Amino acid sequence: MSDAVIEVSGLTKVYRVHERQEGLGATVRSLFRRTFKDIPAVTDASFRIAAGEVVGFLGPNGAGKTTTLKMLSGLLYPTAGEARVVGHVPWKREGDFLRQITLLMGNRTQLVWDIAAADSLRVLQEIYRISEERYRATLGELTDLLDLGPLLHKPVRNLSLGERMKVEFAAGLVHSPRVAFLDEPTLGLDVSMQARIRRFVAEHNRRAGTTILLTSHYMDDVVALCRRVIVIHHGRLLYDGELGELAQRMAPYKVITVALRESAPSAFLDELGTVVSRDVASVRLQVPREHAPERTARIVRDLGAALADISVEDPPIEEVIDRVFAGERMPEAATA
Amino acid sequence: MIRVYRALITQSIQVLSAYRVSLFLYALFSFIRPIIFLAAWVAVAESQGGRLGSFSRADLGGYFAIAILVTHLTAAWDFFEFEWEVRRGSLSPKLLRPLHPINYSIVNNGLWKLMTSVAVVPVAVAVAITFDARFAATPAHLALGTVSVVLAAGLTFTFGWVFASAVFWTTRVHAIVTLYQRTAFIFSGQVAPLLLLPAPLLVAALILPFGYMLGVPTEILRGGVDVTTALLMIGGQVVWLAIGIVLYRVVWNAGLRQYSAVGA
Repeated sequence: MSDAVIEVSGLTKVYRVHERQEGLGATVRSLFRRTFKDIPAVTDASFRIAAGEVVGFLGPNGAGKTTTLKMLSGLLYPTAGEARVVGHVPWKREGDFLRQITLLMGNRTQLVWDIAAADSLRVLQEIYRISEERYRATLGELTDLLDLGPLLHKPVRNLSLGERMKVEFAAGLVHSPRVAFLDEPTLGLDVSMQARIRRFVAEHNRRAGTTILLTSHYMDDVVALCRRVIVIHHGRLLYDGELGELAQRMAPYKVITVALRESAPSAFLDELGTVVSRDVASVRLQVPREHAPERTARIVRDLGAALADISVEDPPIEEVIDRVFAGERMPEAATA
Repeated sequence: MIRVYRALITQSIQVLSAYRVSLFLYALFSFIRPIIFLAAWVAVAESQGGRLGSFSRADLGGYFAIAILVTHLTAAWDFFEFEWEVRRGSLSPKLLRPLHPINYSIVNNGLWKLMTSVAVVPVAVAVAITFDARFAATPAHLALGTVSVVLAAGLTFTFGWVFASAVFWTTRVHAIVTLYQRTAFIFSGQVAPLLLLPAPLLVAALILPFGYMLGVPTEILRGGVDVTTALLMIGGQVVWLAIGIVLYRVVWNAGLRQYSAVGA
């Protein structure tokens, strides 16, 4: 993959944290003798991301996602390993590198709280040395995509969370970065605003070709934006590959949902697969992938007029990811 | 860089204007202490026949009137803001931009002094008039004094950042900074003119950087030392400023390696 803009090899980060037992005695002892514990946040992570890719970086809280993003954006020095982003070692924080990346965090603001976003954006224009023509064009496009018009001239402190997130995106992308690290960009937003931000990220990626590494706990974000996912748990990469393939590896079954006009015999349903849920008008069945076509045909044939509707789907991605994190079955790490 | 500074200045004016009252309340710090110490030393001088060492009442008035201005022009408070930024996580966005975070502070610091000088200068003039202040400064003193004030401001600012950088190792930098400020309080010439300090304290004040932060520029501007001594003192400021800059660069670069982006 010669056009990789993010190359990571053996990246490791260990935090050294002060550890103290509970109780007054331990507190007093810690004044004189401190004990430290090494907490591995990321261990031996390796992956490559090509220009223009949108990759989902998945993991539960404390898995090492944000630490990885901070290392790749140059905020943190790693304990070991190597990384190159747009040809630069991130933690050297060279100006040419910083001009080509952005890190957007859903729970943090980079705008000045007390003044209008438009004023903060002007400062960014100068810091990133953006020509007036390019600035106007980029801001115009961002305003169009994010419907920023009415928001730019209000003090940031007066914006709602969703509105603030939109202007945060504008601030993070006004310099047209080649790589965007998005850490929980839809955190705390309502469903409609989440969908809007998702559409924006997809459209921005399509128009500008920005490479995006995205973390999110909302699987809708990942399903809508990422064909490829990297799964990290306890600091180790568990999976790197197509999102669809992850479902196949981790959930070797399909979900058949049957809508009924009249009830079906229990014995018949039990023969087809595992009944996940059942009521008068519908049944959900888990069926091994390889048997799904044959069982579907059997349902259609045997239920006849009693069948109102039928659908065959992969299990919800949340369920798949839950299985990965629960360690039900560790799939072999694949290379995209 | 000029365009960047112009944009930062505009932004800084907008931010400072948002909190006009606090802007001027902070300026009180520049003159409250010097006025208190002036009143105290004048009372002591008058109880001793009108003189305190080589200082008359008018000399004390001159020293502290100028000290009000120099205190204001050399003030640095960035360590407190820096600790806050690290703890709140707002340093990270700055570190991600191709502009060193110190530039924001330089603009903010300079602009605040400029904007609040309109409140501080009349107070210094009023103090000078009230205490019949005597100045022995020649044009050479004024020129050297101006240079010395600029160097003192740079020195205070740089050492402020050296101590602020301790936040990379301990997120509670307040105690370290308070110790630094209390030491500066004793040796800088805030409590009393440097020339009134007991000999060992005067030597310490001029060996350490503290005397060069306030007492030296104040004495030069008031004409309290001859031109040759003033030049030597400015040399001392240059040496300490160079040490401060080297120290700052070392501590900052080492600190960034320690940075764990707390809360960011």
